[in-house]
Amino acid sequence: MSAGNGQKKKASRTLIALAGSALGLPGISGKALAVTQGEAEVDYSYSLYQEEDMPREKQSGATSDTERYTIDTHQLRVVRPWGDTYDLTVDLLYETMSGASPWYVLPNPDPNQSEKPLQVMSGASGIEDTRKDVLAKVRKIYDDSAGAVSLGYSTEDDYTSVNMALEGVWELDDKQKTVTLGIGGSDDDIEPVDTHRFPGRVEHETKTSISAYAGLSMVIDAQTIVQSSVSFTRQNGFLSDPYKLAFVSGTLVQDSRPDGREQFTWLTRLRRFFPEWLGALHADYRFYDDDWGVESHTIDLGWHQNFSGQLQLIPSIRYYTQSQAYFYAPYYNAPRNDNFASSDYRLSPYGALSFRLDAVKKIGTWAFRLGWEMYDSDSDLAIKSVKVENPGLIEFSNFRISISKYF
Amino acid sequence: MAEKLLEWHFSFFAMGSPCQLRIYLEEKEEAEEVSYRIQSEVARLEQLYSRYRDDSVVTKINRSAGKAALTVDPETAGLLDYAQTVYEQSDGLFDITSGILRSAWDFKSGIFPEPVQIEKILPLVDWSMVEWNSPNIRLPEIGMELDFGGYVKEYAVDAAARLCGELGVSHGMIDLGGDIHIIGPHPDGSAWHVGIRNPRSPEDAIVSVDLQSGAIASSGDYERFMEVDGKRYCHILNPKTGWPCEGLAAVAVAAPICLLAGTASTIAMLKGREAGPEWLKELGLPYFWVATDGESGGDLV
Repeated sequence: MSAGNGQKKKASRTLIALAGSALGLPGISGKALAVTQGEAEVDYSYSLYQEEDMPREKQSGATSDTERYTIDTHQLRVVRPWGDTYDLTVDLLYETMSGASPWYVLPNPDPNQSEKPLQVMSGASGIEDTRKDVLAKVRKIYDDSAGAVSLGYSTEDDYTSVNMALEGVWELDDKQKTVTLGIGGSDDDIEPVDTHRFPGRVEHETKTSISAYAGLSMVIDAQTIVQSSVSFTRQNGFLSDPYKLAFVSGTLVQDSRPDGREQFTWLTRLRRFFPEWLGALHADYRFYDDDWGVESHTIDLGWHQNFSGQLQLIPSIRYYTQSQAYFYAPYYNAPRNDNFASSDYRLSPYGALSFRLDAVKKIGTWAFRLGWEMYDSDSDLAIKSVKVENPGLIEFSNFRISISKYF
Repeated sequence: MAEKLLEWHFSFFAMGSPCQLRIYLEEKEEAEEVSYRIQSEVARLEQLYSRYRDDSVVTKINRSAGKAALTVDPETAGLLDYAQTVYEQSDGLFDITSGILRSAWDFKSGIFPEPVQIEKILPLVDWSMVEWNSPNIRLPEIGMELDFGGYVKEYAVDAAARLCGELGVSHGMIDLGGDIHIIGPHPDGSAWHVGIRNPRSPEDAIVSVDLQSGAIASSGDYERFMEVDGKRYCHILNPKTGWPCEGLAAVAVAAPICLLAGTASTIAMLKGREAGPEWLKELGLPYFWVATDGESGGDLV
């Protein structure tokens, strides 16, 4: 400051007290990027996910369209500060699923239709399952860093999972950069249902997963933030789907996949605010590659438009494309040498487009969000051209509503 | 780069005062956008903290006096924490519950309030009675009121200056009714020339200061007052006596942020002719004062 007579002054205790208090104000400090103690918050959200029916003509021996999955999800999140330097987050999830899912794929008996294999659905009478999930996270906040430990437990009728993660966040260069490092692991038990009815089905299997990730977030200028992260995951154990079968030269065999999988992901996000539009562009790109031969690219573009009255509308579009797992086939004319077999549409070559529209309205310390998504997948959107499309590819809509209260 | 920057000047009216925004940017559209955003931010704070508005947070808090506690948002909580700190640091002289005293004082009438009027109000004035446990606030007595008017304009200046920086402005200044925050010097590096009002001739500057960064705010007996028998009684009311502060005609303080400058100058006004300058000297920020007897001092100029 050029004002004053040049004499160096010592800040009094009064000045230190006043300045300390003033600097805590959001208007003066601006919103800090990452390392701040969480404000107390409660969120509830409900979502309804509904897959389109499997049409009769894509199925073998079906007399009508078959209802696929419907998933109802209730989620509750509570964040509360704990002392001056800790915060605690608890997430609860309750989910019910019902409907039929793809069981196996048969070659089309009509030789002129060999490019259109037929789907057989399981549980046409209706699979029902419930998932309960709890995750608790404790964070300790230091001046320019934070450390977090989280512990989670998830259970379904045929599945239990315990997971744990450690994360550290460091702010560098006067909060212009944020570095995040984390490791995590999970231990899952799989106990499929109805094994007495399906003798080939496994009774009890396990799998473990460990992952590590590193991320960097940078403030480029007043309007632009870029985040980039890489993660690596190693899964071991039973990675097949106990409920799926594959058609191999005239017989049905259990879905069978390698007992290890290494996955690599690179994600980059760009956030740019355009003051002249009072809107922000969110552009994300994700690259995924694993040692099963699945490679995928995702591009997600969203526009966050602010309107007066604390209203925000967010239209967005996502494009996804992947290649198939090396051992995947819709059906097999001969067994593979390694004996792997899977006709799961998620391992097939395909791509997808999804459109979303979200609206957020804030009223005082409340926030309301409504969202709707429409998703369609197709083999024409795969990385390479595909001769035989998996008949199980899905189309779904997802509706979501949430209410948040900040304290 | 610098030769392309042009100065844009916007005048507007907010928080009961004439305001101006002066910024250097290349394009007119850019400047208009910044101006729009700044005016929206100031309007947002005015809407939240004006006690004249029905829908403001302050009105809600005041209406719930004597009733149950109210939970406030983080920004309001920050301002209340600040009020608490200022109350403590000023030995109770800067008190955001003192606004209600104004109902006893009609400065247009030129007549003093009846002593009984002030006696009736004084029991409702004392921040230490307020039950403030962030983020919950409760005014225990019906009739108690909070008034953020003593510092929200200064806070708005700081918020506006911060926002200018975020929007890419690095040369400019914002002035809300004499509370000023420098966003950055002129593009050639030269300082902004800021005048401090002469309390006896508010359109003229009594002194001027060159500022390259930081903020300046002043308080004085010239904003709203009445004169009785040649003596001036101004709107800055002492929460302990219910009467206007005495002795000083104006105080200006420079600080890195305007909120500090504004509260310091108000506290000095309330402390008066002897204690005010003494307190400012102790405080450690550049200051300037003029007494009602015409004497002046300080190290700001």
